[in-house]
Amino acid sequence: MYAIFKREFLSYFRSPVGYVAIAIFSFLSGFIFYTQFSEGLVNIGNEVITLRSFFVVIVPIITMGLLAEDKKRGTDILYYTTPVSLFSVVTGKVLAAFALFAIMFINVIIHIIVTICCGGMVGVGAIGTIIVFFFMALTFISIGLFASAITDNQIVSAIVSFIFILIFQILTVIAGYVATAVDSLLTTIGFSTESASAAGSAVKNAISWFDPFAKTQDFRLGVFSVSSLVYLVSLFVLFLYLTYRVLDKKRWSQA
Amino acid sequence: MIEINNLVKRYGDKTAVNDISFTVNDDEILGFLGPNGAGKSTTMNIITGYLSSTSGTVKVNGHDILEEPELAKKEIGYLPENPPLYNDMTVSEYLNFIFDLKCVPKERRKNQFDRIVSMVKITDVTGRLVGNLSKGYKQRVGIAQALVGDPSILILDEPTVGLDPNQIIEIRKLIKSLAKTHSIIISSHILPEIQEIADRVVIINKGKIAAIDTLNDLSRRLSGQSKLLMTFRGPVKECSAKVRAIQGVASSVPRITDSKINQLEIGIASDNTNEVRASIFFMMAKEGWPILEFRSLDPTLEEIFLNITSGKRRS
Repeated sequence: MYAIFKREFLSYFRSPVGYVAIAIFSFLSGFIFYTQFSEGLVNIGNEVITLRSFFVVIVPIITMGLLAEDKKRGTDILYYTTPVSLFSVVTGKVLAAFALFAIMFINVIIHIIVTICCGGMVGVGAIGTIIVFFFMALTFISIGLFASAITDNQIVSAIVSFIFILIFQILTVIAGYVATAVDSLLTTIGFSTESASAAGSAVKNAISWFDPFAKTQDFRLGVFSVSSLVYLVSLFVLFLYLTYRVLDKKRWSQA
Repeated sequence: MIEINNLVKRYGDKTAVNDISFTVNDDEILGFLGPNGAGKSTTMNIITGYLSSTSGTVKVNGHDILEEPELAKKEIGYLPENPPLYNDMTVSEYLNFIFDLKCVPKERRKNQFDRIVSMVKITDVTGRLVGNLSKGYKQRVGIAQALVGDPSILILDEPTVGLDPNQIIEIRKLIKSLAKTHSIIISSHILPEIQEIADRVVIINKGKIAAIDTLNDLSRRLSGQSKLLMTFRGPVKECSAKVRAIQGVASSVPRITDSKINQLEIGIASDNTNEVRASIFFMMAKEGWPILEFRSLDPTLEEIFLNITSGKRRS
């Protein structure tokens, strides 16, 4: 696993990918911090939350090549024909992408230090958002890795993970639309207004239950809910497992 | 040692590999031949664990590739048709990555690294990026990769493809020298190459084994007897009759050529071709017909190959 991790992590810096991702992140975090700082109202929690909404761009950049590139080069054969297990290949790659996130996060740490040095406050809410930041990064990386496993084209992989993450990001909005649609559909086919709107809101609640952003929003207030972290971890495990299955399937392919 | 028993691989209703069984002994080079799409690469991929078989077993030094994959894979060094190289790494970074993948203990690495690098002659490029190397060097790095971890078995899928003649000769020499300590399966389209380095040949066609034997036995089996071609100056009919009279000669047929050279194709029934050749020489000398050329017409691997693969097709 360490071998895969080391190779993937270093390969970020052998190509522009690592530098581009770090540059984007540094620019965004620096810009946000600068605006806050110039107004004299620094809130690390808000900064981290805003940065989180850029996962939709940063994660696909980082994960698109993880497995797709291997398949294109034909180097994936090494994973099957050497004693290394597919499980350690998958985890090694996730950890490499995660390590890049950790490097990018140094920006925020610098901002925290600056804030404290200037007499600012970093509250328990900020720590909460940072915890969520890392858990969410891990989850989205596993989604990106899955997208990278199903194709040998980096662009396709990036688009697929972009769409997946975007859906998670706007899940509450989607839930609203679906609820309205259900509501009006039921009214048209003759249900009473109350039952239609009840069904609509039930659908809305059901869909928005899956929204990882809504689920973890209380962390900024210092309310650490273990259940929402468990939700993120289960998504992470699910996509990791799916990736593993996709890789393993190649060996058993009958078509 | 590799034991392959009743290997079958199906893709949908197409059978890529159909009931193949053979054994590769220790320290032997086994040539693996077949027309395109015969199932060579599929078989090699199954042996190395890249693909799984539909049924049948592969045992590598006694370890089943599906039941004890990690032990079995440790014994195998594999050079696929396209060497699995990372263009963004230097040669030594790449080989160290392979050392990591194959879990070679740290203390054995330095020694092994130096040995492999000098064996495949890439010492002077270890610091260069793999992507900047020529095709020949890339192929050598691919072979170096297969040698990492001291596997006892090497599986080489067309190792000399795309190399220039000098490089081909060097790689062949290298493979021959490796055969002293490794069992090697080598597939190639270049038939003389197999002829030169392989101890035994497996010919597969349409997923089935068409022939498996040593080269000598194969040619004997096909021709039934040795043949000689003699070019000489003298009367054709007379000479043909005189040659036929020599003991051990089964047939003597004049070859029709468009030029004015006289040629006889001589079939020899006895095992002792040297004796027959000497007799022919003395007879010709006595008659005063100079022999210009004398060569044996043992079928080349190419002919064997065509014979077997096309023969099967007809049946």
